Amino acid sequence: MDLDSDVQMEDAIDQQHTQQSPQSPQLINSASNLNDIPISTVDPKTQINTLEGWMEQLSKCQPLSEESVKELCNMAIEVVKNEQNVQPVHVPVTICGDIHGQFHDLMELFKIGGPCPDTNYLFMGDYVDRGYYSVETVSYLVAMKIRYPKRITILRGNHESRQITQVYGFYDECFRKYGSSNVWKIFTDLFDYFPITALVENSIFCLHGGLSPMIETIDQVRELNRFQEVPHEGPMCDLLWSDPDDRGGWGISPRGAGFTFGQDISEQFNHTNNLSLTARAHQLVMEGYSWSHQDLVVTIFSAPNYCYRCGNQAAIMEVDENHNRDFLQYDPSVRPGEPTVSRKTPDYFL
Amino acid sequence: MSAAATAAPVSPLDAANPSSNDNNGNKDNDNNGGNNNNNESNEAGNNNDTDQSMSKSQVEELYPIALLMDELRHDDVASRVQAMKRLDTIAIALGPERTRNELIPFLEDVIPEDEDEVIAIAAEELGKFVPFVGGSQYATILIPVLEKVSACEEPIVREKAVDSLNQISSSLSSQQITNDFIPLINRLAKERWFSLHIAATGLFKSIILEVSRSERLELMKLYSDLIHDDSPMVRKAAGKELPELINILCQQFNTPDNLEDLNWNLITNMYEALVNDNQDAVKFLSVDVLISILQFLKKINETSQVDDLFTSLITLINDPSWRVRYMVADRFDSLTNNFNDEKYTLKLVPNIISLMKDNEAEVRKAISKQLPGFAKLVNSADNSIVLKEIVPVVNQLSMDESETVRSALASEITGLAPILGKDATIEYLLPIFVEMLKDEFSDVRLNIISKLQIVNEVIGIQLLSESLMPAITALAHDKLWRVRLAIIQQIPLLAEQLGISFFDETLGQLCMEWLWDPVYSIREAAVENLRKLTEFFGEDWSKDEIINKILEKRQSKDFDNFICRITCLFTFDNLIPVVSSETVKEYLYPFVNEMADDKVPNIRFNAAKSLYHVAQSLIKNYKDIVLEEIKPTLERLTDDEDEDVRYFAQDNLSKLEELL
Repeated sequence: MDLDSDVQMEDAIDQQHTQQSPQSPQLINSASNLNDIPISTVDPKTQINTLEGWMEQLSKCQPLSEESVKELCNMAIEVVKNEQNVQPVHVPVTICGDIHGQFHDLMELFKIGGPCPDTNYLFMGDYVDRGYYSVETVSYLVAMKIRYPKRITILRGNHESRQITQVYGFYDECFRKYGSSNVWKIFTDLFDYFPITALVENSIFCLHGGLSPMIETIDQVRELNRFQEVPHEGPMCDLLWSDPDDRGGWGISPRGAGFTFGQDISEQFNHTNNLSLTARAHQLVMEGYSWSHQDLVVTIFSAPNYCYRCGNQAAIMEVDENHNRDFLQYDPSVRPGEPTVSRKTPDYFL
Repeated sequence: MSAAATAAPVSPLDAANPSSNDNNGNKDNDNNGGNNNNNESNEAGNNNDTDQSMSKSQVEELYPIALLMDELRHDDVASRVQAMKRLDTIAIALGPERTRNELIPFLEDVIPEDEDEVIAIAAEELGKFVPFVGGSQYATILIPVLEKVSACEEPIVREKAVDSLNQISSSLSSQQITNDFIPLINRLAKERWFSLHIAATGLFKSIILEVSRSERLELMKLYSDLIHDDSPMVRKAAGKELPELINILCQQFNTPDNLEDLNWNLITNMYEALVNDNQDAVKFLSVDVLISILQFLKKINETSQVDDLFTSLITLINDPSWRVRYMVADRFDSLTNNFNDEKYTLKLVPNIISLMKDNEAEVRKAISKQLPGFAKLVNSADNSIVLKEIVPVVNQLSMDESETVRSALASEITGLAPILGKDATIEYLLPIFVEMLKDEFSDVRLNIISKLQIVNEVIGIQLLSESLMPAITALAHDKLWRVRLAIIQQIPLLAEQLGISFFDETLGQLCMEWLWDPVYSIREAAVENLRKLTEFFGEDWSKDEIINKILEKRQSKDFDNFICRITCLFTFDNLIPVVSSETVKEYLYPFVNEMADDKVPNIRFNAAKSLYHVAQSLIKNYKDIVLEEIKPTLERLTDDEDEDVRYFAQDNLSKLEELL
């Protein structure tokens, strides 16, 4: 799409205008819409305006049009494909766990931790599935990633995969909201480019699942080829699937993928790689965060009342520039206008 | 290009080869269609279409339309849904005549066989089709296909068809209504299938005013039949539509002597039928009908029937089904308002008390929200009753076992204060409020706090703060951040009315503490609060109490933490517009300037934004600082190592240059 930049500005405004009322069928269906040209990625000013338009729309929990999602993911690939398997991250940073399509709770997270870009964020995967707003959640985070690539890091979780999303809701949600699986395909193709781990100031190793018997040093992670669907086995699978366990050594994971690893493994890994901590997500913890292996491993889970029924708190971990850690716990967001559900749901048949 | 065109990568050959013989004639008309589209988009301001691109898009228009016709027959449901969404494009391209002769019969054939989701979209689109078939004179051609759709058992589809029929009816002439629309209603209502009867109930409202008197009588009789239908589902649908129908009729015939035209007896009979229905899901709909009837009677000052209606209300209040009682409780305010007579209001007192003591929590919750409105009415009739009879039960409700009841009560209870007046509020209500502020369920506390304004108006801030201050300060450190937030939001109000002296001793400390809260939203609200306080108390106060305290913070260990520094920066940034340029120059600017060299990039780019605000304040009196210090600093930041700092520095530098 290499066009004259004047024309692009016009189109950007036109498109933004169209997107502001995505619910209006007239606009979507109008014949003039046939002439829409996708937004250019060439002119930086236009790109920022477009992105901010998208982010504003998404912040109201309104999904983007299919064309915009396509454009968004193309831009995102350009951003994340150059990141490393072990993406370096600087302090201060706020580290977050699973979101699982709970869009309003993600907004709550930003109310607690502060808005991006004022606060730096590191998300450890599982943006989609389970919750009702996977499309909006992942679109929002990806848009933010493109707009502020240095302020936010998004890792891949085990749910950022074609296979899992077909079972746990993201596929169905895309189909329901867009009438076809195109958007699901666009996103799952993007997920292949997400970095799989991050390293905060060479001290905190962050990843979705846990350690792998085939990985002894962080350098070995750097050598993996991550640009693929999450495999069924092997080191990349383990990093996204494993869990810490009270038993020592490696164990067979009840999940059917990855392994369980004991304190001895964590000690060895942190020592070999000169780490102070391994931070991971992947498991529901009632307090939102949970220490294991004598403070060598921390689990962070950022979806409060997971699946709208688990009754758990969520948490995020703030690491300041002096490496002090602080956990912030929070409850599900309050959504004004929604009827309060009492324990005994009345059936009014209205 | 359109979603359908880009989403489905079908080659032009496939697209130009739809199976039907529509195709030959298609091309000529497509050209028209293409032109139409282009004209429209040109009018819409898309003026960068040159002649060249116009001819190019004409060619490209051909394919989408041929493609869309083809997609309507596609095997895949999703493709058909997409194609149906563009039905209007096809109609525009075909032109009115071919839309009537080819597209509509085609749809009539295809639609009823299709999946629900496709039918729903078709039904919705067809509502907008009057212009596409050639205007209102041809509008009736759309009726048969929508009639078929309304036979659908899926409520969503049926509702869309009914909506579209109503939409179309608005463009029909009275003759078309008599010849086509009324027969349609008759057919639907007399067919032996419940879902058609339900569809019929939705169609009366759009034409009831457009028909002759005799036709109206017939229609009302038909509606009455539906209200008495065998199937509860039909009775429910009819009962639900009835209030709106009554309102429409009553607006037109709003004088007492028009009762005949209204077929008033039929209406009251229908109401009676609903009240005595054996299904509670139908019966509770009578409450809204009653409101509509009462509104009308009140308007025309007709009182002869009110006694009977009141009796029926009392039976509804005491109905064995809690859903009926819930409905009455939920609408209590508008019911009593529309009876509009003291004697009825007073008779209702025992009834509202029985609802407040109902054994179903949902009923208690609903009536809790109606208390102030009713109390106001009772009070104007007899000013001792609220205190003697209602307040004691309110006291019980404030300790209700269900937290949702307490929460509902908390959201409205403060509305009783203006009714009771100052002394009674202090004696009877304040203790209840204080107890509810200690409620273990946070919503209860929150609801009381956020409605304190009303109480304040009655008893004055002095008394309120004396009795509630201990509770408020306790809540200032509540573990739920939304409670803390609600308290902060009350502070400017307290500050404004208490004045500086009282404020400093009790609350000044708290206001500064909130700046260091772990939750961002609290810090944000705290900053906003300090700005408002500066507005009330003036610059000198702000220097002593805020600015200097923030500058002192710089010496503390907390300042090593970037959240502390960025909060200080935000506070100063917010103060810039509300203090004089001298203060900005003397106190705020040096600090902001220092932050521009912070080691954390997030602070540097916020300092860049802030520097522009400083410049806005200083430009008038200290232009030299702007030119010699701020501008160079921003220019230096445009070379920062961090890309976001560079972006915001550049952004604010250009804004600054505009300012200069």
